[in-house]
Amino acid sequence: MKKNIKVIERYNVQWKHRIFIPAIIEGLTITAKHLLGNVNDINRMDVLEYPEEQPKDISGRYRGLHRLTHREDGGVACVACFMCASACPSECIFIEATQREDGVDEKMPQRFAIDTLECVFCGYCVEACPCDAIRMDTGIFSLIGNKREDFLLEKEQLLSHRGAFANENSIAKSGVASK
Amino acid sequence: MSLGAVVITLFSIVLALLLALLMIPVLVWLERRVAGLIQDRKGPNRTNVLGFRLGGVVQSFADVIKLVFKEEYYPKHIGKHEWLFIVAPSILFVCALLGFMVIPFADNLQLGTQSYPIQALPVDWGILWYLSIGSIGVMGVLFGGWVSHNKYALLGSQRATSLMLGYELPMGLSIVAMIITYQTIDFNTMVAWQSDTIWGFLPAWGIVVQPLATFIFIVTLFVETNRAPFNVAEGESEIVAGHMTEFSAMKFALYFMGEYIAMNSASAVIITLFFGGYQLPYLSTNDLFSHFDAIAIVLMLFLPIFIYYFIRWMHKNNAVNRTLSSDGGRAFETKVLTYTLIAMSLMIELVMVYLIMQPKESLAVGLGVMALQIAIFIAKLMLFNIFFIVVRWTLPRFRYDQVQKLGWNYLLPLALVNIFVTAIVVVALGA
Ligand code: SF4
Ligand code: SF4
Repeated sequence: MKKNIKVIERYNVQWKHRIFIPAIIEGLTITAKHLLGNVNDINRMDVLEYPEEQPKDISGRYRGLHRLTHREDGGVACVACFMCASACPSECIFIEATQREDGVDEKMPQRFAIDTLECVFCGYCVEACPCDAIRMDTGIFSLIGNKREDFLLEKEQLLSHRGAFANENSIAKSGVASK
Repeated sequence: MSLGAVVITLFSIVLALLLALLMIPVLVWLERRVAGLIQDRKGPNRTNVLGFRLGGVVQSFADVIKLVFKEEYYPKHIGKHEWLFIVAPSILFVCALLGFMVIPFADNLQLGTQSYPIQALPVDWGILWYLSIGSIGVMGVLFGGWVSHNKYALLGSQRATSLMLGYELPMGLSIVAMIITYQTIDFNTMVAWQSDTIWGFLPAWGIVVQPLATFIFIVTLFVETNRAPFNVAEGESEIVAGHMTEFSAMKFALYFMGEYIAMNSASAVIITLFFGGYQLPYLSTNDLFSHFDAIAIVLMLFLPIFIYYFIRWMHKNNAVNRTLSSDGGRAFETKVLTYTLIAMSLMIELVMVYLIMQPKESLAVGLGVMALQIAIFIAKLMLFNIFFIVVRWTLPRFRYDQVQKLGWNYLLPLALVNIFVTAIVVVALGA
């Protein structure tokens, strides 16, 4: 029995730590300072009055709500390759592919939906996409709805989101096209 | 029983109930607000009735309304023992409430030759009542965990039991030292004892006379009231919510409110035993009576200054950041509150003038002194409640074996030594 017990030596335990009281008083002074300082002037805290004051420091790397990018002619950039859906850890991307008749590409999504209630906003879909067709650079951080269905974003909605930081068009596709 | 006695008893009971029950929403709000301010957040400050937010106290009433209208849910596996499910939180709640009833809020009121205690339960063995009722309250925790048929709940109540074994002994022994010092088990006599001074300049408060017993008692009361750093029975980061895991709606609210009442009672007992109760240092009840005019005049001068600074503070802090265009009606609220405060302080000044003109032995002066002492008591009570709250948001939780070790290895021997030293000193001084 004895040999299975691993005793971990604590280092630097001083006498004043053992009797707790000096450490407790130290801690109480810190919290009391914060408390009294903030009671004296409540607006000295660096906080937002949220719904009225919106955050202004959302950077280009912030993973907000998804959007589907466009080609230069305005059509959908996605080629329905299912890469994003395969990469998605929450399995919340639902794609139905269809033939593309206008000759621009072979396939396009008939339906492209993301269930944002399941999504963990990991950004893997963005990284997986070979066509730069899905991005999370909208800067939108709140989505409000009354029913579950409101959170299932369909293709039209995703296409209507605008990028807050980058150009509207798919870089990958336009890069290919210009060659 | 004369009419006076009936009126005073009823008054004390109503006062005690108000102090205990009305304190709950205030304490719940205070806890969240203080937590926020300590962590540089604002805490709940938005709920309002017609634009009046009173710093956010209204939030607590909104919470109560929500809890009352929640579904009354019983887990299926407890079968037909639903009534036990209601009994468990009730035990905690009722015991916490009863424990508060023996606290004297002011010195005995003289009516003719009779003197009446301002105590909801006018008993002269208050400390014994508080100790026994407080220990029964823990049964609510054990019981709740046991009837839940849930491993987390059971772990929680098991921890509560282990704590109880750890802290009851040092707590009782520290009280024994106090009883030896005061030579009484009556709260009111204890407070009267503390109005003296020792060596002519130190107030003879319990904390000055018995610092060790004070420390032990406060620590053990933190354990008994289930407050951080000893809230291992709840242990929300380890065992969900401990004994409260299966409780919802008003049953949970009973537990929740019971804990705040227990904290309030604990503060009241600590004040009464160690911090001079309803007395200010150097001012015993007799002093208050004999120098009533002087004290009233000082108060009359002091009150406007205090109100002035309070209003200034309110104007500064009941406002939103200047960057915002709308202040959500706070300017209007501040204005109304300012006028209310000024009117109230004027009324108090008038009452003081009236009291100064009365003869010293009149009932009016007696009532005035009583009101003053109740005000002092409430001020101390609030300070101590805030201390409880600040401690909760400062210290990390003890592991439950650490609490036991603290109780048995450190506090118990200290309490025993304290008793011996106290007894020797008392006998030596008495001889
Ligand atoms: S962000 Fe992550 S979880 Fe959300 S859709 Fe993309 S891959 Fe899936
Ligand atoms: S969004 Fe990108 S990865 Fe997903 S199906 Fe369309 S092209 Fe493929």
